Formats: sequence, structure tokens, C-alpha cells
Amino acid sequence: MRAVVRGRIGVFHLQGFLDGNNAPSFLTIDDIRATEALNVDMLLVSLKKVIFFNKNGLDTFVRLLTNIRIQKHIVVGFCDYDHSKFKAINAFYGNELSFSLFKSEKIAELFVSSNKNESKTVLLYNSDHSQRSAMAIELFDYGHNPVIAQSLNEFEEKRQHPELYYAIIEDTYLGYFGQKVATRVTGNAIIYTISNFLDAEISDTFNIAYHNNSLNVGFRLFIFDAYKVVSMNIHALNFFTKLASAGAEYNATICFVGLTFEKTPQAFKNDLEDAGMLFFDNMEDILKNKELLSDLGGGGGATVKQHRSLNKALVNELPHFIDATVSTIAMMTNAEATRESVKIQTLTVTDSADQVASSIGFYGDLDGLIILIFPRSIAKKACELLIGDANVTDEDILDSLAEFVNIIGGRAKVLLSENKKRLDITLPRTYADVKTLLEIAQDKKGVQVDLNFEGQNFIFFLTR
Amino acid sequence: MITSEEVTHYIQNIPPAPAVVRQALDYARAGDLPKAAKCASEDPALRHYLKILVNRPLYGFKNEVSDVSQIFSILGVSATVQTLYNYLLSLLTPKKWELFTLTDHQFYDLQASLSKRWEKILLHLSVNDKELHSAIALIPATIIVCEALFASRKAEVVQLRSVKALDFNTILKRLSGRDLFDLAGEIARTWEMSDKTISLIEGASGLRETLNAEEKTLSQWMHLLLFYELSQSVYVSAGLNEFIDFQIDFVGDIYEPFMQVMA
Repeated sequence: MRAVVRGRIGVFHLQGFLDGNNAPSFLTIDDIRATEALNVDMLLVSLKKVIFFNKNGLDTFVRLLTNIRIQKHIVVGFCDYDHSKFKAINAFYGNELSFSLFKSEKIAELFVSSNKNESKTVLLYNSDHSQRSAMAIELFDYGHNPVIAQSLNEFEEKRQHPELYYAIIEDTYLGYFGQKVATRVTGNAIIYTISNFLDAEISDTFNIAYHNNSLNVGFRLFIFDAYKVVSMNIHALNFFTKLASAGAEYNATICFVGLTFEKTPQAFKNDLEDAGMLFFDNMEDILKNKELLSDLGGGGGATVKQHRSLNKALVNELPHFIDATVSTIAMMTNAEATRESVKIQTLTVTDSADQVASSIGFYGDLDGLIILIFPRSIAKKACELLIGDANVTDEDILDSLAEFVNIIGGRAKVLLSENKKRLDITLPRTYADVKTLLEIAQDKKGVQVDLNFEGQNFIFFLTR
Repeated sequence: MITSEEVTHYIQNIPPAPAVVRQALDYARAGDLPKAAKCASEDPALRHYLKILVNRPLYGFKNEVSDVSQIFSILGVSATVQTLYNYLLSLLTPKKWELFTLTDHQFYDLQASLSKRWEKILLHLSVNDKELHSAIALIPATIIVCEALFASRKAEVVQLRSVKALDFNTILKRLSGRDLFDLAGEIARTWEMSDKTISLIEGASGLRETLNAEEKTLSQWMHLLLFYELSQSVYVSAGLNEFIDFQIDFVGDIYEPFMQVMA
């Protein structure tokens, strides 16, 4: 069994009965290796469709999860259970609970980085005060707005109005947490929350893959929320200066907000400034100053000055990327997408009304960005297999579009591996309107392929 | 990936029951096991299948049983009818399993185990309808249909499932409008099984909304039994545990009595 990866979370979806006899059969050695190779921030086992489990059954997965947590410093645990399953797990493991428990996948998603700009209001209660505080801090660090009930009575009262909250968090437990630097997206800026004393461990806890992905998909402003940082040593300083140098290639700006130099040597600030880091006292100084935000690169991509040009290596592989797109559409719809025209040009969208878009970056032996722009109706049709025929919201369509480009990225990866080219793909990004995308990509030169699907055109654009 | 035309083509090519088996079934349904055995003995493949099946450890015989009339008398009328349907289904198994890592013997064991446990369930529910006894034989047809339709698309399905937890049944339904249980029902129709049996097979997906009380109860038990079997280590390893979606809410209210019957 393989984990399904959605955003930064991998989930094993078990079904039926789980005991000590059958549990090892769910995981072959290949499955374990594939799991270890996943680039995720959280690995969970869903118990939604497990009608019976015992401790021996869970232990098989707990061993795998624990090994992965130790190796990769990610959050691991179980999700999607009812109150009786939550009680059973607590009874099995008691004080030895080293993994996390999330009542639903939706709740788990609140505790990981995403490249969506969303702040959710959630109601939170846990009878354990330290758990309650830990969850509130994590939620806040990930950019959410936790409403904390201080007592069971208050919680019961507040939960009478579920419409006020994106989620109600109960029967949830944070095991080993804070192993990764919390990340949130605000507008076109990415905010990392760092705290305490920063040392060599920062290179383990900072998700460099996520950061590189963000650079690849067009983010240009990165802010370290450093209000809670006490001090740092030379190893942390080296880490940040290297990060600044790597970001320079993309013309990215990296800022520190709220960092004090009472216990950190002033010389470190000079070194960081030399590397191109900027310092601000308050987050609002950046986020509420639109002009400054735009200057720093957080207002979109229009301020990007250095364009990375399309190169021959990438153009040579164009057929593979188009094949991956066309074959994915054929697989998902049983209908053919035909090529209308291929041109090297800047991204040109003649009619941006009622269009949605998605992009996915790739890096490795080749690097670049695939952009797809669809009329909304075509996007829905292309994703019908993923969505089903139920009434769907725009958000469902965008989520499915992200899964859709993920499959395209995966197929391109496979096709290119046949030519001995190794690629990694970034998290997909979706755009509810094309305007935001154009701000990032309109000045970039790339290969634009106009494709026709069921009588309507959509755009495939490959750029760097 | 899979078109409705391919599904229609598959249905059109379901072979009818061979004359010998049809006749043996008629005799068995009428309770005339000696005539059914005589008829079945004329088909060497059927004879071989019965011998292999009945001598699997699940049946617990110390000495090898090889005579067809002896096999039928041991099984009794209902189990004989079920076994004949199991044989018919075995004719549809692929030469080589590719989608699922399964052997023919493991498949026969699954058939036998489902049959034996279904008997216990019907006894518990006090259901005596012989047609309903045979219905369980068609449930593994979902596995055969799935193997036939998806074996050549394994890589595509793996890719699809890396981003979304979709089971084969849902993929087929969304692409062709029919699911694996519909197709198992089509096989039952081709083999002239009763409408009641066909409804039960289709209801065992746990997804049908128009079931009467009896159909719903039997469908619930059949759905849970299928997942009870597919949770056995050997079938988990074969990849059968995740080929259809387990409808946990559909079976929630029969879980306790089910476990008592299985104990």
C-alpha cells in the first residue's frame, strides 16, 4: 500500500480489519522505501474505514511512522477516527503516545505548510492545558486564528455555532511536534516562524524542499517571523547566509521581522545584511505597506527583474511535457486533446474571463515551470474523474486541478526518467483567476502550446 | 482510461454456462444430487476443480475426496449449487493475474471461504432461499472483472491513486457509468440467476439506495463479509483490500452480530 500525497501530507487509507496478523501485509519493503522517499511534512494513517483494530495492528504502523519521524523530522500519526477509536488508541498507548492524533484530515491540514493563502478560524478545546496551548501556538504559527475554549462548558457553548468555525478541534493530540519550521502564506509572501535559540538544527527543521518549491513556483518574498528567537550561533548564521545566496538567483528577498540583537552578536546582523537580508521591527511594517511589499517582491511577480531564460535543454524535452499533459487528459476523460499551435513567446491569454489556472514547478536535471490555463468548464470536465459528478464548489475544482497538474508532473517525471533525466516536482499551485498568474508570468518567455479539448481551447505554457 | 464501449464489449463476451454445468445445476437445484454428480462427472475440468476445491484445508478432510457423487453428498444441495457457480466463475479467471498478485488456488480459497461463511450467516439470519445461498458465488466476479478491465492500466491507476484515494469501483463508475457490482450482476444475468440474486449482488457494493429491507440486510452482511475476507493477510498482500471502497457506515449496525457469527 502506498500513501496518497495531497499537498504536504501523505496518508495511508486502510480499510476493513486491522490486527497483528494482517497489518504487516499492508506494507511491502517497496512500500516502506517509497514512503521513506516521500517529500512530505506529515505522514498519517487514516482509520476512517477501519471497522476493527487492535494494538498489534496499530503497532506495525507506529513502528514505520516512528522510524520516518526520526529520519525525516516530520509529524506522524493517525487521523480520521471517531471518539471511541480515539479513546481506544489512548488506552493502548497511554503516556507513551509519541505520535499525533488528528480527528480528521481537514484538521491535520491546519498543522502543515501549504501554498494557499488561507487563515482559518477554528474552535479549539483540549482538557490538557499544555496540549491546548501547544495546538494554539502551532495553529497561530501556521497563520490560523484559533478560538480557544478554556473550559468544557465554554467549548460546548461555542460549538453550538459551527458555522462560525472552519473546524472544531477536539479529540486531537500533538505528539512530537515543532520539528519543522512553521510556514504560512500571506498574499505572495511566505512567512516562516522561528523561535528559541537557533543552531545547526535549523538545517533539519527548515524545510528546504518547500522553500525551493516556493522559489520555483514564483514566490519572491520570504519573511522569518523571529519575534520568539532568543539568539543564534554561527551555524545558524551560515545557514541563513547560504539561503540568501541561493535566493539571489531568483531575485528573492528574505527578511527578518522582530529579531533583537540583545543576545545575538551585532556582527551577525552585519553579515546577514551583507548577504542581502533585510530587517524589520514589525510584521505590519511589511504586510500593510503595499508599496514596500511590491518593492520586496511580495506584490506578485511583476517586480522580478532577472528573468531566467528558456534554454535548449528544456525546449528539447518539450514533447515529453506535452505528451504528459495530453495523455493525462486522455486518461482522465477518455477524450483527446489536440495541439493547435506551438510558439515561443511570452504568456498570452486572449480572454482571461472565467479562466482558472494551475502551475507546477520542477527541478533537478532540468528546471522550469508548467502552467495550464483552462476555461472553468473545461477544468471541471478534465477533473471529473477526481471530483465525481456531485455538485462541486470552485474550491473543489481548484483542489482537483492541483491534483491534475500533480499527475501531469508525475508523468513528465516518468517520461524524462526514461531519458535518464531526474526531476523533482514542486507542490502545485492554483489560481482562481488568471490575473494573479499573469502578474507572475506575463513577462516570462516560454513555449506556449494552444490545445483544443472538446471544442474549447486551453493553454499549456512551459517556462523557467 | 476505460470507456463505456469497452465495458459493453466485456459484458457481451461473458460466456454462457456450458450445457453440462447448466444441467448439473438444474438437477442440483431440484435436489437430485446423484444425477447432478453424474452430469458433472462428464466434464473433466469440473471434476478436477471439485477435487481441488474440496480437498483444500478449509474443508478439513483427512483423506482425499475425489468421487464427484461423494463430493456432492458431503456438500449438500445448497453448497453444491454454490460450488457449481464457483466453478463457472473460475472459468473467467485470467490465465495470469497481473493487477492482483493472486494465484488460482488463493482465489479458490477465497471462493470457498466466502461460501462457508455465507452459509453461517444465512443460518443466523434464518434465510432458506436456495438462490440467495448461491448469490455469494458471484461476489468474487467483481475481482475478475476488475482484473480484466484494469490489468493493462495498472501504471495509470497507480499514478492516479498517488494523488487521490480512488478505488477501482469508483474509477470505473465515473468513467463508464457502471461499477464492478453492476458487471457481476450482468454475469449473474447471463447465467440466468434470479432477479433476487442479481439485486443482492448489486446491493453488496453498499452504494445502492433503492433496496428493500431484506435486500438491505443481506447486502450489508455480504459487504461486511467481503471485507472480512479481504482483510486476511493473503488478500491484503494480493492488493485486494483496496480494490473497492469499504462502506463502513453501511455496515455499522450489523458489526456486533457479524463478529458473533464469525467467532
